[in-house]
Amino acid sequence: MSLQYHVKLAPGDVAPTVLLPGDPGRVPVVASVWDEARELASNREYVTYTGVYRGVPISCTSTGIGAPSTAIALEELARVGATTFIRIGTCGSLQAHARVGDIAIFDSAIRADGASALYAPLEYPAVAHHEVVDAAIAAARGLEVPHHVGTTFSTDLFYVPEPGSAFGGYEQSAWRERYADIARTNAIAAEMETSVLLVLARIWGLRAGALALVSDAVDDTSESGEFVPEATFDVSAEPIDRLARVGCETARILDERDRDRSSY
Amino acid sequence: MSLQYHLKLAPGDVAPYVLLPGDPGRVPLVASLWDEAGEVASNREYVTFTGTYRGVPISCTSTGIGCPSTAIAMEELARVGATTFVRIGTCGTLQDDVSNGDIAIFDSAARHDGTSRLYAPLEFPAVASHDVVEASIAAGEALGFRYHVGTTRTADTFYAMHGRPGSSFNDYWQSSWREHFEDLRRLNVLAAEMEASVIFVLARIWGLRAGGVAVVLDNVLRVSGESGSFDPERQFEHGGDEIEHLARMGSEIVRILAERDDAGETEKR
Repeated sequence: MSLQYHVKLAPGDVAPTVLLPGDPGRVPVVASVWDEARELASNREYVTYTGVYRGVPISCTSTGIGAPSTAIALEELARVGATTFIRIGTCGSLQAHARVGDIAIFDSAIRADGASALYAPLEYPAVAHHEVVDAAIAAARGLEVPHHVGTTFSTDLFYVPEPGSAFGGYEQSAWRERYADIARTNAIAAEMETSVLLVLARIWGLRAGALALVSDAVDDTSESGEFVPEATFDVSAEPIDRLARVGCETARILDERDRDRSSY
Repeated sequence: MSLQYHLKLAPGDVAPYVLLPGDPGRVPLVASLWDEAGEVASNREYVTFTGTYRGVPISCTSTGIGCPSTAIAMEELARVGATTFVRIGTCGTLQDDVSNGDIAIFDSAARHDGTSRLYAPLEFPAVASHDVVEASIAAGEALGFRYHVGTTRTADTFYAMHGRPGSSFNDYWQSSWREHFEDLRRLNVLAAEMEASVIFVLARIWGLRAGGVAVVLDNVLRVSGESGSFDPERQFEHGGDEIEHLARMGSEIVRILAERDDAGETEKR
């Protein structure tokens, strides 16, 4: 088989378990936690490293921002042999108890994206595989990282729909209570890729889950009336390293449990 | 507080863990497995028993058929102190590797109901509590039942949406129904029933826990066969053991959850 069109990977290039950050710049940071690692491909926003973490074969591929580029990455990764997907991203918190620096573990997502609706009707749930959720909880507990399990709001928009966040103050009346209504549904965070990941894995019969570092509180931005991500987001090296470690441990715990099951 | 309008329950009448069958006639059957049980209310389709199962306080309330009556039961049960809901029902399957009599464990639901979207937009996931899913798997393992974990399609109809004319009265049919079940099968949907979506959505938005298990009675893609005729009374398998397995499954899930909650091993959501 020739290389996949966008991710430039062939069968054998990736491990069955793939970590999925959004930012291609974070792939080498994640791989620096592994025992061994090498870059397999780099094209557009898609960078892939493959290696070994504590004895477990592992890969990391960036998805770029948003569900459309993420769906392409998933289609092509599945074709070259990936079977378990673990998103490791950043998110904004919608609940006071989920603080900056904590890890949010997503068991499900609100499908406010466009791509997943082209694969499955909106009635269909964006739900994580329970084994990935359980391994992520075990990883966060093992590393003693404060964590929260819940639903994420996966949206195709970064700069809207909060009044004051779109360029020039552009707004729509329907946006005014948008995030307040989402928060009232008990969703814990907002980010941009989880829904399509969970829907595609479920319809293909593969495993997926997602965790994210809380890098800001969404309601911070509404009080100031201005949205300056550079000023309010904490995506410094230490928390990103923590995110990478929880992601890698999730993969290791899953592998360990898979082996226990297959040895019956 | 006076009695809840429909369920006729007051705070203290139910345990924090409540089993939810659809059929009021099944409530005493479920309660017959417990160490002790008493009927605390009966009104309309809502029958409630409360008791103890292997030392754990437990209740069972019927929801009636469909999401509207189920939402009313959930609203009123939550007001009198229920915090964990476990649906125990029957379902059809869409997958050929699932046999009649198997147990379906629902981690999520496709929201083809009307009620849940009056509470939360359709984009919102109908997802079970992870704690309840894990306890359900543990119960299935402990009891030695054949089980499957997956998504259920919850719909507001029993007789409509089948692939060929014959399921609805007088052969009424719509062309958009032709591939409805086939499309669901392609989406890897495990089962079809009529209550799980609203239970999952309501529990999630209230910060409570819910899950669901169902015993498989038929394969919805095959039950009508070539003729399209749908005769559940004749075609569904009720061998006798199914409902007892379901009741045991539900009660064991509650016991395991209570044990894990006490040990601090759950996320409590």
